[in-house]
Amino acid sequence: MAVSQTTWIKTLGWGVVTAGLYGFLFQYSEMFEHLAHTTLDSCLIHNDTDTAYHHKVTPEQCAAQNGSFIEGTWWYVFAPIAMALALSFTHGIFTGLFWDVVGLKAKK
Amino acid sequence: MELINFIDITPTTAILLILVGFIGGMVSGFIGSGGAFVLTPAMMALGAPGIVAVASNICHKFPKALVGSVKRHKYGQVDVKLGLVLGLFAEAGVLLGKHVMTSIKHTFGAVGTDLYVSAVFIVTLAIVGGFVFKDYRKLKALDDAGEGEHIAPITRIARWVQSVNIPGTMIYSRGAQAEISVLFLVPIGFATGFLASAIAVGGFIGVPAMIYILGLPAIMASATELVIAFVMGLGGTLFYGLEGVVDIRLAMLILLGSLFGIQLGAIGTTYVKDYQVKFTMAVIMLTVLFSRFFYIPNYLVELGLMESLPKATGKMLKWAGDGVLALALVLGAYTVLHALFKGMREHKKQHASHTDSIGLGQ
Repeated sequence: MAVSQTTWIKTLGWGVVTAGLYGFLFQYSEMFEHLAHTTLDSCLIHNDTDTAYHHKVTPEQCAAQNGSFIEGTWWYVFAPIAMALALSFTHGIFTGLFWDVVGLKAKK
Repeated sequence: MELINFIDITPTTAILLILVGFIGGMVSGFIGSGGAFVLTPAMMALGAPGIVAVASNICHKFPKALVGSVKRHKYGQVDVKLGLVLGLFAEAGVLLGKHVMTSIKHTFGAVGTDLYVSAVFIVTLAIVGGFVFKDYRKLKALDDAGEGEHIAPITRIARWVQSVNIPGTMIYSRGAQAEISVLFLVPIGFATGFLASAIAVGGFIGVPAMIYILGLPAIMASATELVIAFVMGLGGTLFYGLEGVVDIRLAMLILLGSLFGIQLGAIGTTYVKDYQVKFTMAVIMLTVLFSRFFYIPNYLVELGLMESLPKATGKMLKWAGDGVLALALVLGAYTVLHALFKGMREHKKQHASHTDSIGLGQ
């Protein structure tokens, strides 16, 4: 059965939206890491090679390590949840259409 | 001070995660289980601490479970009330399990969580893998004897559970088509949640319990499990997120591959017999179980519970573990794809010869 033009357009459309969301996620991956680590109090320590977030630390202990103390913001936890829901929705639709377009169907 | 690192995502790591997600999704779609028993160890092999692998896996699973449960609800396969009640008790299990995991993290660090996750995997995979292998042999024997697809009757335990009446605790289960006491649902839900918080797989307890203890048909049990997975997955993501260990990048790269794979795996099941699915499940589980043993010595050395190993030995053990895990993934991918393409080819041939025989080819 030939795939209709509408299906092709829908597939491409959802593919573009999904790619856009992934692009956003990785363009701002450091921000997402920051949001993930700072749902609770943390100490940000830079060294030559990387940046590390330490937890279970007081502001004084952090200062002693030349780190920046960041107070936790619990509602940052919704950032990964929102991203996961958005991508599952768009990518779920895209992959369903993708296999239809490719012609892979269940045995009736 | 506590440090839990997120891994660097290089292009190679990203491709590996997408591939692992694809194979995990295919396995999940094919055998009906979360696929987490390949995903969690694979993320750990790429360097993610156990707690981050489990947390990120839970985060990738819960929205898929929502989408899946809505779809299967349309086919009438979901017992929503049962799923929500079990999900509620599972949430309590997740909370306790997360507390155990984070206590281990506080006391023993990231490598402590690696050892804990591996230990739980070994025990769970040994029990469930062994059981599934036994089930495969029984189903194959029935099939060889020409008894075809055997639909198991309700077990004696389930019949007893459905007969128990404790006033004030009864709820009607659409799936079991019987009233069941909530007191039976508490330990099942709780155990499901606790296991999910340790290895990101809850279905190993939830689905068999719904079938063999509550008396639900298998198709309704696996659909209802999606409701439980959504409820405890959302809770788990929140609880672990508040500990700062959910790596959304890992979760979404896995998702990228798994949503392609899951549909392929599900389509593949329509071309094979039930016992072939069980065989695939058992082989992959037992291979992943075997791979875990190679990682344990290095964890024990890092925790100071064992004398240091020569550097070369430590490296070889890690390679052996990674190698056996890769073998499990390759076996899984090969089995599903082989079943799918062989089945499609034979189906096309049969359809072509049927068309010829009734003269439609002319």
